Amino acid sequence: MTRSIDWRRTFGLREAGVYYALLILLVLLAAIAQSRGLPNYLSPQNLGNIVYQASLVGIMGVAMTVMLITGAFDLSVASVAALAAAVLVGLAPSIGFPLAVGAAIVTAIAVGIFNGAIVQFVGINAFIVTLGTLTAVRGLVLVLTDGRSLMVERPDVLQQMLAFESTRVPVFWAALLFAAMLLALAVWKRRPLDALAGIVVAALALLAGRDFTVAAPVVYLALFTLAVWAVLRFTVIGRRIYAVGGNAEAARLSGINVHAYKLGAFVLSSAAAGFAGVLFGCRLGAINPTALQGTELTVIAAAILGGTSLLGGAGSVLKTVIGALLLFTLTNGFNVLDLGASYQGLIEGAVVIAAAAIYTVGGDRRRVRRATVDTAPEAPVVAEAG
Amino acid sequence: MVDAPLLQLRGLEKIWPNGTIALRGVDLTVRAGRVHGLLGANGAGKSTLIKVLAGAIPASGGSVEWRGEPVRWTSPRAARAGGIATIYQHIPLVPTLSVIENMLLEQRGGWRIDRVARERAAAVAHILGDSFDLDAIVGDLPIGTRQMAAIAQGLMSDPALLIMDEPTASLAGGEREQVYRTIRRLAAEGQAVLFVSHFLDEIVALTDEVTVLRDGRAVLDARTADLDEAAIATAIAGRSVTALDRVERRRPTGDALLDVRDLASPGKLAPTSFSVVAGEIVGIAGMLGSGRSELLHAIFGADPAARGTVRLGGEEAGRDPAEAVAAGIALVPEDRAAQGFIPGMTIAENIALPHNGWLVAPARERAAATAAIDDLAIKAPDADALVGELSGGNAQKVVIAKWLTPYTRVLLLDEPTAGIDIGARTDILRLIRRLADEGLAVVLVSSEFEELLAVTDRILVLRDGAIVAEADPATTDEAGLIQLASGTQSRTEIAA
Repeated sequence: MTRSIDWRRTFGLREAGVYYALLILLVLLAAIAQSRGLPNYLSPQNLGNIVYQASLVGIMGVAMTVMLITGAFDLSVASVAALAAAVLVGLAPSIGFPLAVGAAIVTAIAVGIFNGAIVQFVGINAFIVTLGTLTAVRGLVLVLTDGRSLMVERPDVLQQMLAFESTRVPVFWAALLFAAMLLALAVWKRRPLDALAGIVVAALALLAGRDFTVAAPVVYLALFTLAVWAVLRFTVIGRRIYAVGGNAEAARLSGINVHAYKLGAFVLSSAAAGFAGVLFGCRLGAINPTALQGTELTVIAAAILGGTSLLGGAGSVLKTVIGALLLFTLTNGFNVLDLGASYQGLIEGAVVIAAAAIYTVGGDRRRVRRATVDTAPEAPVVAEAG
Repeated sequence: MVDAPLLQLRGLEKIWPNGTIALRGVDLTVRAGRVHGLLGANGAGKSTLIKVLAGAIPASGGSVEWRGEPVRWTSPRAARAGGIATIYQHIPLVPTLSVIENMLLEQRGGWRIDRVARERAAAVAHILGDSFDLDAIVGDLPIGTRQMAAIAQGLMSDPALLIMDEPTASLAGGEREQVYRTIRRLAAEGQAVLFVSHFLDEIVALTDEVTVLRDGRAVLDARTADLDEAAIATAIAGRSVTALDRVERRRPTGDALLDVRDLASPGKLAPTSFSVVAGEIVGIAGMLGSGRSELLHAIFGADPAARGTVRLGGEEAGRDPAEAVAAGIALVPEDRAAQGFIPGMTIAENIALPHNGWLVAPARERAAATAAIDDLAIKAPDADALVGELSGGNAQKVVIAKWLTPYTRVLLLDEPTAGIDIGARTDILRLIRRLADEGLAVVLVSSEFEELLAVTDRILVLRDGAIVAEADPATTDEAGLIQLASGTQSRTEIAA
């Protein structure tokens, strides 16, 4: 049984707008670079660079998307990331790099459990609870670092950290393999959209060339996104995550353990923030107590650009990553092309609001169209059920 | 009393911007001092008509004459100023404010509540039988009282015409009676009431004139005295509806499939014991607030404070919904939209919700949903239709379909026909009978005692959170059941 695709909807602004926005922005920046005689803006190096810069926000954004789908909210991610980085940098010289990574992530998860338990079992709004932990955890970072920058001074540990974060990974064959898998899936399940995705991935890989490498965080982001996407798309757990956000009471009365899913989202969000913090700590081998301040808003902005609803029940991790790329392309473009950094914030904010407006208006249109279909055959009352 | 009409609609049309035709030329005459019934199946155009009259949406064609003058209201405020008050089905009160503040929402001027306004509110409350405390917070009130508060709010502007959209849909017997008395009193004082309802008996008992809408047209417009329930039902459905007759079933016997022992919840439910055998339909009759939903929630494990045991075929079921579902208990909750389905998900996804396992199987789920659409006669384009966009009756069928799995052995239904038109209602009752015939143990809660009498094998009467009587539907009538459920106290209240 093949499912027919509503092409107008699939490629409409509501569903695909964030992809168009990214493409238009890239073309625009490339044209500006061209006209000013700057090096090719769309070079594989520069594009790889943008993804690298977006990777931490992307990782947190993917988890944030799951969080928003369940109908909750996590403002504390950036503070948690900073805490994880502080734990890593503080402990790595004494207990070694792998153990310190474990300690950092366990610390982050502990904050997540704390957030989730208070929200779920005391019943305080997630916004308020995580606003509290945002401040408190940042305070904890200050206490732990004594208000100064911490640095890893053991060269062997520093080496391990840099290796974890800065290794260049060749992705040509992996990307081709992934594209082939998508194409195979598309043929097997008769899903033209998967074929399209496969072709795009293959084309990008071929354009970038065989020697193209990316930094490790890009690979971590790709793997994490893929894993979460697959769970949401193919598993019962995924559907229940959407159900919990779509109508928690109906989900509960369908026998779904709503508490577990909501708590799980907090744990995932904090764990992802912890991992992003680890990457951040490794990048510099150091942490200063105000690191990543304000990043939580970028993370949420990325999810909103990707069309995730703050009301829960809807959202796509893939589009959140595109949203993060869009934001960092803006940043990168302003820097590389020297467009005047003062305008950056203004433009970023306008983009987020424009995106939200498109999603809201687009959503309404669709609702009206569906309603027509449903009310039309309403008039006659159906006879005999059985 | 043949005086000039208060409100006269001629050829009223409403075409939505997307081309859907909601009203195809409706004529309607409402006279002062009369109660005018407005009926129609879901989607017949009742809500649209009310919204046009209330000034909430503009008409596309036709004319509205109010007190002999053609009018065209452009906002709800204009209609209210003209003398039309509308009380919507989903009570639009501000839950965090008190009753009096809700009643005064429209007022202008400086002070929040002044003495004159309070006296005026108290007078209106008195007309309604002083059934609520003016300073109570609306969110704390039971739903029946909230309905009275909404009526009070409508009466504050001293309207010449009061439009009521299903004011009794969520009310139990005693409270309904109170609404009826209010309506009769208003009509006696010369106000006109346009009364929208699904309940034929109250239309017949209460109204002076009836208009039936079907497919955007007025298909019946007559004096109520000249009609009977069957004639109205035929007009609504557009075909002859067989009345809901009791079908004698072979009374199932055997060991208890569902066995409830000393199930209690502090403040909601006294220790309650009963059992249901496979294939049996047990009705729960009770007024609003008698603990009907609380009982079902306690059985389903959805009430964490509940104590006692629930056994299924001798095995104890767990004390939370997930374990209850695993044991084979299913609940169709009272409030479809808030508790029953997930509006943003498709029919297939909603039906697949209780399924366990790791991977979703879209093809199998769509096949199951398509089968359910055929089997239960769900009116929807296909299995990918969003449940939030279906009409009430069809959404309810999806909620029931969700539980029609081989694992379900006990079906708890909480007001499964509330707010559903008569055709879909009959469908659902037939379905319940069929499911019991197939071996499910069914517990049915309904405010429609007529329904309980028609489909159940025996009826437990619930009052103040305790089972006070057991009735045999073959030998009991509706009045007897109402008496049992409302107790002596309520009866004196009605008499008074």
